[in-house]
Amino acid sequence: MSGSLIVPLIILIPLIGAIITMFLSGSKARYAWIVSTAVAAADLVLCVFMMVVGDYAAGDYDFCASWIDTAGLKMSLIFTVDGLSILMLFLTAFLEVLVMVFSYKERDQANKFFALLLLIEVGLMGVYTAADYFLFYIMWEITLIPMYFLISWYGGPRRHYSAIKFFIYTHVASLVMLIGIFALAFEAAAVNGGVVDFSFEAIKHAAGFFDEVFQVVVFGLLFFGFLVKMPAVPFHTWLPDAHTEAPTAGSVLLAGVMLKMGSYGIIRINLEVLPLGAADWQWVLIIMGILAAVYGAYACIAQRDLKKMVAYSSISHMGLVMMAMGFLSDIGIQFAVFQMFAHGLISAMLFMVCGWAGHSVGTREIPLLGGLASKLPKFAGMMMFCFMASLGLPGLIGFWGEFGIIFGFYEFLVDENMIYLLVFSLLSLLLTAGYYLWAMQRTLFGDLTEKIDLSHVHDFNRVEMVCLCVLAAAIVAYGLWPDLALSFIDTYYLIGVI
Amino acid sequence: MIPMEYFLTFGAILFAIGAFGVMTKKNTVIILMCIELMLNAANINFIAFSAFLGDAMGQVMVIMTISVAAAEVAVGIAIVLNAYKMRKTTDADDLTTMRW
Amino acid sequence: MFVEYVWLTVLIPLLCFVIVGALGTRIRHGGGLITVAGAACSFIIALLASYEFFTSSDYSEVGYVTESLEWFTVGFGSTSFTISIGYYLDSLSCLIMMFASFISTLIFVYSLGYMGDQGIKKRRYFAEVALFLTGMIGCVTASNMVQMFIFWEIMGLCSYLLIGFWGFGHPEAKQKASAAKKAFLVTRAGDVCLMGGMFVLFFEMGSLDYVTIFNGANLAAADPEMLALASLLIFGGAIGKSAQFPLLDWLPDAMAGPTTVSALIHAATMVKAGVYIVARCFPLFCMNSEVMLFVAIIGGVTAFFTATMAMNNFNIKKVLAYSTLSQLGYMFLALGAGGYLFALGIEEGSEELMAAGALGYTAATLHMANHAFFKACLFLGSGSVIHSTGTEDMRLMGGLGRKMPITSITMLIATLSIAGFPFFAGFWSKDLVLDVAMDAFKDAADPTCYVFILLWFLGVVTAFMTAFYMFRLWFMTFSGKARENAEHCHGESPRSMALPLVVLSVFALAFGFVLLIGYDGIFTIELVAGNWIVGGQAGEPGFHWIEHLFTNPYTYLTIVLVLVSISLAYLMYSRGSVNPGKFNKDGQSLLYRVIANRWYLPEIYDQTSWKLGYGVAKCVDYFDRNIIDGSVNGLANAVIGGGDAVSKAQDGNVHTYSAVVILGIVLLFAVAAALVIFYGVIA
Repeated sequence: MSGSLIVPLIILIPLIGAIITMFLSGSKARYAWIVSTAVAAADLVLCVFMMVVGDYAAGDYDFCASWIDTAGLKMSLIFTVDGLSILMLFLTAFLEVLVMVFSYKERDQANKFFALLLLIEVGLMGVYTAADYFLFYIMWEITLIPMYFLISWYGGPRRHYSAIKFFIYTHVASLVMLIGIFALAFEAAAVNGGVVDFSFEAIKHAAGFFDEVFQVVVFGLLFFGFLVKMPAVPFHTWLPDAHTEAPTAGSVLLAGVMLKMGSYGIIRINLEVLPLGAADWQWVLIIMGILAAVYGAYACIAQRDLKKMVAYSSISHMGLVMMAMGFLSDIGIQFAVFQMFAHGLISAMLFMVCGWAGHSVGTREIPLLGGLASKLPKFAGMMMFCFMASLGLPGLIGFWGEFGIIFGFYEFLVDENMIYLLVFSLLSLLLTAGYYLWAMQRTLFGDLTEKIDLSHVHDFNRVEMVCLCVLAAAIVAYGLWPDLALSFIDTYYLIGVI
Repeated sequence: MIPMEYFLTFGAILFAIGAFGVMTKKNTVIILMCIELMLNAANINFIAFSAFLGDAMGQVMVIMTISVAAAEVAVGIAIVLNAYKMRKTTDADDLTTMRW
Repeated sequence: MFVEYVWLTVLIPLLCFVIVGALGTRIRHGGGLITVAGAACSFIIALLASYEFFTSSDYSEVGYVTESLEWFTVGFGSTSFTISIGYYLDSLSCLIMMFASFISTLIFVYSLGYMGDQGIKKRRYFAEVALFLTGMIGCVTASNMVQMFIFWEIMGLCSYLLIGFWGFGHPEAKQKASAAKKAFLVTRAGDVCLMGGMFVLFFEMGSLDYVTIFNGANLAAADPEMLALASLLIFGGAIGKSAQFPLLDWLPDAMAGPTTVSALIHAATMVKAGVYIVARCFPLFCMNSEVMLFVAIIGGVTAFFTATMAMNNFNIKKVLAYSTLSQLGYMFLALGAGGYLFALGIEEGSEELMAAGALGYTAATLHMANHAFFKACLFLGSGSVIHSTGTEDMRLMGGLGRKMPITSITMLIATLSIAGFPFFAGFWSKDLVLDVAMDAFKDAADPTCYVFILLWFLGVVTAFMTAFYMFRLWFMTFSGKARENAEHCHGESPRSMALPLVVLSVFALAFGFVLLIGYDGIFTIELVAGNWIVGGQAGEPGFHWIEHLFTNPYTYLTIVLVLVSISLAYLMYSRGSVNPGKFNKDGQSLLYRVIANRWYLPEIYDQTSWKLGYGVAKCVDYFDRNIIDGSVNGLANAVIGGGDAVSKAQDGNVHTYSAVVILGIVLLFAVAAALVIFYGVIA
């Protein structure tokens, strides 16, 4: 066992917190919120500490302990932190805290609710720091289970259907991914003196010896595992269902950080270890990305449910990420990561606002809403802000993500001599503006709806406003100064991952 | 000395009778008895092999089987009795609710 | 010392936006005074900085002054792209910065009175207009295209917010919100083109800083085809923002906002940005004559078609909106025709052609400034009328001249100006525009010259129509008998609304004289030894412009046409001695109906965008629900159904179970026996 204990701590703290929270049942349930928020805040502090103090790029925060170490098999508890993972860690911790605070009204079995949220954090923190394939896989699966229960216990009317769909989809995908991981480990064993070593380092060391056919096949296996999580068309239908049924907190975490696990995996494993496979799969990534971006945007136009619309917009935006990864260029990866981060913040706000509408207004059906701006001005302002952020208004974080990706796309297309394909990405921008504006027009503007009873509906209260304002401030701050995030991705490069 | 084949043939016939009974008899008590027959067929094989090979292990197994059979009959009869109390029948064809 | 602080002109309105937006409800007038003060500060700084710039050696020698800070870098290594933030001042940006902040200040003062009764909504109004001004000044003072694009989009957002100002809590909320959405989406369509153009340009020139991309040597070295593509895409952005054909439909609908917002959009900000970007990229566009021909055609066609739409409209604001479109068309016509000549001049190395082409730039920029003044005056005047009568329908007005003397006289001046009445501001620039089109006809090669004579003809007809519909507007509103709403109008508007009108009318009357008093250098562009210089030419003080225009026979033709159409409007709408119904079968003629329906353009757009947007979306949704989700659910159902079917084998009968067990054992033995017999092995 060696190295810094901070990373194991940020995984252990929420785990212990979850266990404590779980026991705060009955009359003590009102403490569950306080305990879990405090635990999440502690994690955020540690993440910020890692970002600000110390040199994570030099391995200051790496941790290594052996776990299973026999003659032929080696699985270790290795955690590392680099520029890519630290952004994701920060995003996770930040959204966890906001989600906890935003869900302060949760009374019904609050202990289990908050414990599940903390368990999700355990898994996410593990995924973004694990440097051993087996550990990575275990952490990957850990995120799945609390999310399943969160949806099936606290969800809407079709929660069981959605929860099972979510579970089976992502579980099947991760089994395929597991096969890919085994293939990597066993193929690498030949180079590593016959020891099946699952650590990133060992497999990276052997990666140069993988032949092209092997790379292409294994890339496909891993890619399938990740693209379902992202999710990419046509393996995306679990997402709108899961989002519509999940409680607000679940949706925020699902869209904000869990989807990024897929793109994180592609960058971390597929592109890093299997460069030859990536070169052959490049066009698949790009075409699937464009397809998801345009298809998702079109699907948004037809949605009636606000949350479902936002879910499809996630598919569309993650399509841009997929596309950016396909460029296999510096700019592509840099802005894929930036867009992941940007979408994490923006979609969190989108789901908070739309989820709140479902709870407080009583419905998320767009045709039933209308003219809400005159009754709920704060709600209208926040909704407009996050819609504008999502459609890429300059000055907000979403713009730079889209700008950078389309810039990278153009760079790629110039090399390939087919710049006319740029039309598709521009079309997706236009459609994005279209569905958001149309939705806004039908929910916020026009005559105040008479289809639902609004007499008891109150605007955001102070706690909710604080959460949303913090998110909005982050969106503006990163929009005005994108270097706050881009500098971490720079470092990610400087330590020579690609 | 009686040759080995006689014992084995006897055991096989006994087992066949038991199996036939299990498959065809309607009364659950008789089915239980048929199961006993099959167990005893196995016991005869054990004893025969034990005697011919001069190994006591076969006899140990027989003692074991007899005790298991006793326990099984106790549980079996209890189930049948309860089923009879509830359904007023011991007919296997009528006791088919435990399905799907 | 003021030039270095020119960024304050952007920052101060932005601060006003933040302050008013955050605290507006707690300040008197909803923060209106703060916004007015901010805009005034912005104007003063713009004025001082411009004065300093125009008197500095930078102006006379290189024509610009710029300074940038590195903001952040995209990518690494060879294709990295440093985005900087800074200011770039030349005569064009100084001009727009000055008139935009000046007119905005006047509009904000006017708004104090006009929006006075809006209560809590005033906070939103004054915050958003402050942001609008930020967008416009930021757009024209930016030092590179990315920065320009950011402010460009902020303007789009503000137009959306302000056009939809009454998008809720208002009797016609639905229509107004719909107009706002349309404005944002249509301009967004242009914006994505502009974004594409920026990328093309970047990969061709390696930078988006104005200094680099408008450098003559860099332009000459670049691939002309890619430059043409970049120009067309950038022009796409201008078409969207300045509402040119075919993306012109949003602007008339944008009248849904408060009248002051219309004034802001039409005079000071927003639509001027489209003209600005083409004038700014004039060196780039001049690299290809066909691009410029395209610009001219779009401009001429828009000028003509939108003028026809204004002919029979009864909504006072809509008429003004169409006139804006038409005047913007003039500007693009001038830029296109002038740029065409300039491009020919560059190809042939002819100084003469280049000088003739530069006249187009002069005409367009001067017309942009003139238009800003008279259009602001017209809109504010119409706002005053609407405020006082409570209607926008001119059929319900009339005879207001006596009740609202200030409004009627200031509007008359502005109307004369837009109509091109001799020696009013609009006269100079409009006749220069037509002059350029004529020059292009004379100098262009054989087939192309007929395009220009057609455009010139459209321009002259447009001038005729402009004078007619503008005077129709003025006569219907201010002269003749008072009709319904005019009878109980509230009289002249308060002083805060009258003062801006007076100031603007002075400029609408006299701004054209800048040509004559030695400031014409501001409106010039030239190519000196391969370097583009905007402005900087020391104008010969005086009268060569008068000579230029009044020795041209076509000028007299337009003057006569203008006078004829003014008298025609007088006869029809003031004296009533000619019945306009005679010409259009009382509104039943085909032409009349086509024009009243805006040449059916809105319907075509609605239908196509509905089909392409919602229609495809429905198909996608169907595919998603039924094909993708259907197959997923089908697979799940198949698994469940299969399990059900197999579980039926468990019939609960002991006999069956035992039979299966025994059968299994027998089979097992059979397999074992077969293995032994055929392969000689025991498992």
